[in-house]
Amino acid sequence: MKIVTKSFLRYLIRRRSLSLLQLMGIACGVAAVIGMVLSARSALSSFSDAVSFLQGKGTHLIERPAGTMDERILTDLMRDRAVRSMSPVLDRKLRLEDGNLIRVLGIDPFLDRQIRPELLHSPFTQRRGESGERNMEFFLDERAVFLEARLADKMGISPGSDMKTSRGLLRVIATFPNPSGEPLILMDIAHAQEIFELPGQVDHVDLILDDEVDFRSRWETGFRIQSSLERQETFRSMVGAFRLNLEAMSLMALFVAVFLIYNTTMFTVVSRRKDAGILRSLGVKRYEVTIAFLAEILILGTAGGAIGSVLGYLLSHFLTTIIGSTISNLYFFLRPTPPIWSFLILLSGIILGCGASILGSLLPLVELARTDPVEALRGRSASRRSGKKALKAAYAGIVVLMISLVILLASGKQIYMAYAATFGVLLGLSLLTGILLVYAAPALKVFLSLVGGIAGKVAAGNIRQNLGRSGVAVAAFMVALSMSIGLASMIGSFRESLAWWMGTQLRGDLYISNASETEVPLDFYEELRSINAIGGVDAYRKVKILYRGRTAYITAINAPVLQRFARFAWIEGGDEHWEAVKSGGVIISESFARNFNVRPGDTIALDGIGGSVQLKVEAAFYDYSTEHGLIMMDRSTYLNLFHDYAINSVAVFINPANPRRQELLDTVREKALARGLPVFTQKQFYNSILEVFDSTFAITRSMRIMAIVIAFFGIAGALMTLFIERQRDFGIYRALGFSTGQVSSMTLMEAIGMGFISFVLSCAVGTILAFILIKVINLRSFNWTIFFHMQWQPYLLTAVTAFLASLGAALYPIWKVRRNYPQMQIREE
Amino acid sequence: MSHAVIKVVDLWKYYDEEGHGGNAALRGTSLEVRRGEVLAIFGKSGSGKSTLLNLIAGLDRPTRGLIEIEGKNLETLGEAGRTELRRTRLGFVFQFFNLIPTLTALENVHLSLELAGISNLQIAGEALAGVSLHGKERRYPHELSGGEQQRVAIARALVKDPALVLADEPTGNLDTMTGNQILKILTSRCRQTGMTLVMVTHTSLACHYADRILTMVDGIITDKLNSEEI
Repeated sequence: MKIVTKSFLRYLIRRRSLSLLQLMGIACGVAAVIGMVLSARSALSSFSDAVSFLQGKGTHLIERPAGTMDERILTDLMRDRAVRSMSPVLDRKLRLEDGNLIRVLGIDPFLDRQIRPELLHSPFTQRRGESGERNMEFFLDERAVFLEARLADKMGISPGSDMKTSRGLLRVIATFPNPSGEPLILMDIAHAQEIFELPGQVDHVDLILDDEVDFRSRWETGFRIQSSLERQETFRSMVGAFRLNLEAMSLMALFVAVFLIYNTTMFTVVSRRKDAGILRSLGVKRYEVTIAFLAEILILGTAGGAIGSVLGYLLSHFLTTIIGSTISNLYFFLRPTPPIWSFLILLSGIILGCGASILGSLLPLVELARTDPVEALRGRSASRRSGKKALKAAYAGIVVLMISLVILLASGKQIYMAYAATFGVLLGLSLLTGILLVYAAPALKVFLSLVGGIAGKVAAGNIRQNLGRSGVAVAAFMVALSMSIGLASMIGSFRESLAWWMGTQLRGDLYISNASETEVPLDFYEELRSINAIGGVDAYRKVKILYRGRTAYITAINAPVLQRFARFAWIEGGDEHWEAVKSGGVIISESFARNFNVRPGDTIALDGIGGSVQLKVEAAFYDYSTEHGLIMMDRSTYLNLFHDYAINSVAVFINPANPRRQELLDTVREKALARGLPVFTQKQFYNSILEVFDSTFAITRSMRIMAIVIAFFGIAGALMTLFIERQRDFGIYRALGFSTGQVSSMTLMEAIGMGFISFVLSCAVGTILAFILIKVINLRSFNWTIFFHMQWQPYLLTAVTAFLASLGAALYPIWKVRRNYPQMQIREE
Repeated sequence: MSHAVIKVVDLWKYYDEEGHGGNAALRGTSLEVRRGEVLAIFGKSGSGKSTLLNLIAGLDRPTRGLIEIEGKNLETLGEAGRTELRRTRLGFVFQFFNLIPTLTALENVHLSLELAGISNLQIAGEALAGVSLHGKERRYPHELSGGEQQRVAIARALVKDPALVLADEPTGNLDTMTGNQILKILTSRCRQTGMTLVMVTHTSLACHYADRILTMVDGIITDKLNSEEI
């Protein structure tokens, strides 16, 4: 048996270049999965670490349903018999000089020690060696802060230095370590109230409760009480869709990797078929051939997996930064710690490499085990039967496709099922590749003849003749290109939909403050309203709430202003809905309607400051501002409900026909800047939203590139196999008088032919994929409708990629042709 | 007890799936080959010679008819039994040598021994020496000439002392001089050791070395000839 295995394994060395390509294909596939999984896990665990770390020993949190609360209730809380410890917190954000947002926690160090003993332990201990008087700086100096150590290092700030922020200069008196990786500033709560201009206000109070039921019985009305577990769950659900997206990306990488490995293994089977026939004729049993082949696959899988794990680890550092910045843009500032190398990563890579190799080689193994020795010994029988096989594969593809479509339609809210079905659709369509190649062969012949003359004509014949190899390579390349088109079209359509949505809702001429770190002072809002001849001023307030235990948002707007100036995209009906909103009704975003199954005409119950209030849903509108769902109401309704007068941003509308328009805009701008408030024109505002959008999809773009790289190795491997397997044919070409240049051109034409046909097929499959991503996956993940916009850019980009990848893949075989062709002869062995 | 190593009775082989009315490669062929006999089956290309050989080797299965090797019915042996038979009692020599390209000459011969359950490199080396390939043990097939490759194939077939050697156009890919050398080696070694040799050929060359010559036309063995008649 050893010698049978040895005969197979020697191919790895004998065909070094092909082995290397196969190895790189597997390694890239494994690297994509490992990189994606590691970075996603790292970013998400940093996210939950940050939540847990700041939660400390607190068992509960109490806050108003919306907005801040008066610190006078602290006395009552302190006296409450169910409260063992408590710590009031002002939780805000400010912008650093470099533009990054940073979280600021205003706390009472004495009270907070019971809840988060680790938080202030380090900075106070650090300063113990210094005079006690200077330790008092934290309490006495209203600009004194503790800064998280890694951020301090990064910014080159040492204790005693000043740092510039959007709220003026802050004095860093000590640093402290934060294991969660979240950059933080700590300051005394009284000073925080001062710099954020929130005198006597706190955002929430962390509590350690002895008796939750008893406590809730007294504090339920007008407050929201959340246990630590509920809070963690809220955060988890907040990033749920994002996590799902990351998992889908990992699965996508795995799918392409397994497909490529299948591709690789199929080539190996084709090239081992004759050997298998010889061995069987000598008395080698089927299972012995299978084991020998499996050994070869496992060696490739192990080596590829090991290399892939190292590459994946390196990749994860890059991806972690991208994911971190996406989380920062969408949720809160996070600086995830890159994963730490461990041999478990290596082991995972090897298991993945071997697992994917075995999965990818199941069908080829069955084929090899079933090799008919008589057929195999006759030589090139595989090609003769490849047409029939392509037909069989097409039937299987249709079955897979139909099953997948049924699952897709029946999957409902089961997003994982929907993803599985999407991959099934891709697999089904890829199984049709062989038969499509057969039907496309005449057209391909015409095309390649036009491009490459006689060499192109022969190349087209070769692609058709070697369907067993070219079909699989084209399928793998097509899948990768389809993913590229599908993802790009989905992103493009989303961007277009977003731009359209901005045009309907965000029609203000100027936006004052769009960032959550800044709140617009109430008196400034009143001042703007009082400007003569100004069209309208919309005060925008957005707060996170819990609706039926899940995250949702409430936004308060000035309904009369929006009625006049905005052009909301209503799902049903028109601007008549504003009348009802002005008199106390609410409108909901599409995501809220889908997420909570609420329809116009229903009533929803919201916990206001005076208890639960029933509100009638008047209408639903398209919205992309949050996937969790949005309830929009007039500011007057909101104030009645929550007594929260804070404003996040202000939109100023000026009638286009107003002759003083420019003068008014200048006046508003001056007034805002004088208050230190950022001002954005409509265009700037749109751009900032699109910037966030683009950075959100940076990870998706990275995966697109990975898919192409993996596919590149696939097509290069296919060409290399074709070259090796056709040494005899090259001898015939030489005998017929083909020049080295013509044979090189033929190799190039084969690559371009395969690339071209892969691209043509990917245009159709990619469009189908985009459609599924938009109409099924996105709708179910994010509960919003994206409108399909046909764009030519993804197709053009993919065409260029396909051409370049085919060209790149052909380079090495061409080099081999140029080196070896002049010595080639017609030989059987 | 019969002395026949091969007994073939009314053997039919169709290449269409239904088993009738299609392309018949063998049409009721019968044959008996005695122990130690050197038999040549002569026929044109497409006459069914190779099909017959593949059926006798158990590589393919007949549509109907009986094949017995050393008194064992191939059909009742099953796949495992037929494989075992090829490992221990059958040697095969092909027109295109069919050596494993990734194994050296010595390893190719040793492979056959290993499959027969004898892992002995010395015997493999002696077998190569027996076909005048001493000193070329470590060469790979592509480093050997056609004649040398066929000699390795002969050593591979004979090294396990099989009862029966099947040779499919053993000189079909060689020049006349090399072909003669190969046939001399093959037939003399079989005669020395009492092995039965069945050669199928479409040229007269192999017939000169046979004890008995049969002709095959359109899937039926027709005549018994001598080499002069051919």
